[in-house]
Amino acid sequence: MVRQLIILFYVLIGVLMPSVLFALVIGSDQEEIYIDANFSGEELLVFGAFYSDPSQSRDSKSDILIEVVGPLEDVALRKKDSYFGFWLNSKSVTFRDVPGFYYLSSTSELTNEFLVNNQIGLLEKEKSEMIDWSSLTTDWGSVVNEKEKKEFYNALIRTKQNDSLYKQVSDEIEIIDGNLFRSYIDIPNTVPVGEYNVNLHLIIDNEVSQEYSYNFMVTRVGIEEAIYSFSKNYPFFYGLISLVIAIVIGWSGAEIFKRFRKV
Amino acid sequence: MSIYLPIAELSVNIFLLLSLGGVVGFLSGMFGLGGGFLMTPLLIFIGIPTNVAVATSANQIVASSISGTLGHWRQGLVDFKMGGILLIGAFFGSILGVWIFSKLVSIGQIDTVISILYFALLTGIGLSMLVESSKVIRDRIRRKSVKQKIHYHNWAHRLPFKVRFYKSKLYISVIPPIIIGFVIGILSATMGIGGAFILIPAMIYFLGMPTSKVIGTSLFQIIFITALVTILHATTTFAVDAVLAFFLILSSVIGAQVGVLAANKLRGEEIRALLAIIVLGVATKIALDLLVEPNEIFNLSVIRLVI
Repeated sequence: MVRQLIILFYVLIGVLMPSVLFALVIGSDQEEIYIDANFSGEELLVFGAFYSDPSQSRDSKSDILIEVVGPLEDVALRKKDSYFGFWLNSKSVTFRDVPGFYYLSSTSELTNEFLVNNQIGLLEKEKSEMIDWSSLTTDWGSVVNEKEKKEFYNALIRTKQNDSLYKQVSDEIEIIDGNLFRSYIDIPNTVPVGEYNVNLHLIIDNEVSQEYSYNFMVTRVGIEEAIYSFSKNYPFFYGLISLVIAIVIGWSGAEIFKRFRKV
Repeated sequence: MSIYLPIAELSVNIFLLLSLGGVVGFLSGMFGLGGGFLMTPLLIFIGIPTNVAVATSANQIVASSISGTLGHWRQGLVDFKMGGILLIGAFFGSILGVWIFSKLVSIGQIDTVISILYFALLTGIGLSMLVESSKVIRDRIRRKSVKQKIHYHNWAHRLPFKVRFYKSKLYISVIPPIIIGFVIGILSATMGIGGAFILIPAMIYFLGMPTSKVIGTSLFQIIFITALVTILHATTTFAVDAVLAFFLILSSVIGAQVGVLAANKLRGEEIRALLAIIVLGVATKIALDLLVEPNEIFNLSVIRLVI
């Protein structure tokens, strides 16, 4: 069904916009990801079609790039140091407004130069020498020298990658029939709630030719949402109810088993 | 099958939670312990954030100590007056404890402090259990009965503000029980334990309470202290996870009852020695985490979601 729709879109665009050299149509199987009691991560499907004008040279190289940027958050990054043999947290840096989730995928590996020029990417900076510190709002604390700043920045990316929250790949987009593509993006169970931005780029000969973006939400629903918001809005009553549950189960457990033993 | 924990904000395997609660419950039923001293570190081992582990563990202890208190209460082994006076100290102690806890969270040292405290506590518990059980086993082999002194007279009897505790047959100052309660309150709030392991010897050796009344009275006051700690954590650190608590309570209450039955059938000392070894194993793991250079020397924590 989804695939038929894509083909329909693709044909329509070809018919309706013959003057457009390249067109990009995309879709997703979900506009919202719900975190409920059974949530253990999800796979987000992003798919689309791109149409190229037959008059265009066949030699031109086309690439698809998918970028997913999660809600922004402030994080504290702490470095452990050895004190008398004990590994304890010492220096701390606060990074403000960093994405809680970041995913970048392309049909072929893109150069750092391309990413920097088009202001795409977060992870490649790790390898590049040109980190623009002014693009980050950061409380460096006692970290002053450039080398250590870079060490902290790399550690930020690395720890997020270890938690499966940051990812950059070049082999996850599947091309079907030459002009259709789809990609399954892993959303791990630790993702932050909020608004996510999906940006798609059609790249022709290392130039961004078409861009398309849309949003989806990650929201808590059902009992998860009820418990979470109740705990934040009415913490005292939340604590009280947690206690009542403990008392009821503790008490009734003892009573039930006492009866069992008498039988 | 996994379940998403709304406060810890991650999903865990439901059977892992149930077996964790069941095993800790079983041990607590078998030995008459609260089990918090094992519950909190084990929760941290399976990836629950430290603050959630501590706060939720306190909530779970409320349930297990209620089950325990009922039995002792029916037999008239609870000294409510002594429990009440211990609670006065515990009230202020747990307020201070939660305050210290949230300060440590904000400066990022909570994990380290919790690790060190737990290492000290578990090593102490493990060694004393090992020594005690091996002594009992040795005495049993030599067919000796252990002599016990019933009453201690010490400095606790010479301080002012003396009060008569009819149930415990004591006439002592209220200052020592208040101080003991205060210390237990701090430990309970920062470590997510009931504190019976420290409270019981303190009541016997410092206050000179009769051994028969000690367990019921300590369980009785642990209900209230952990209840208070639960409320304080819910309102200040927002770290009580009701879903996590529910599954732990359910499995630990069942585990505890099975443990009580097992305790009547099995000989205690060998199992006590085994528990001592488990406790020392957990302590060793905590020590290694502190002493061995970690693979990742950086750690990340989200302060605030920008909305």
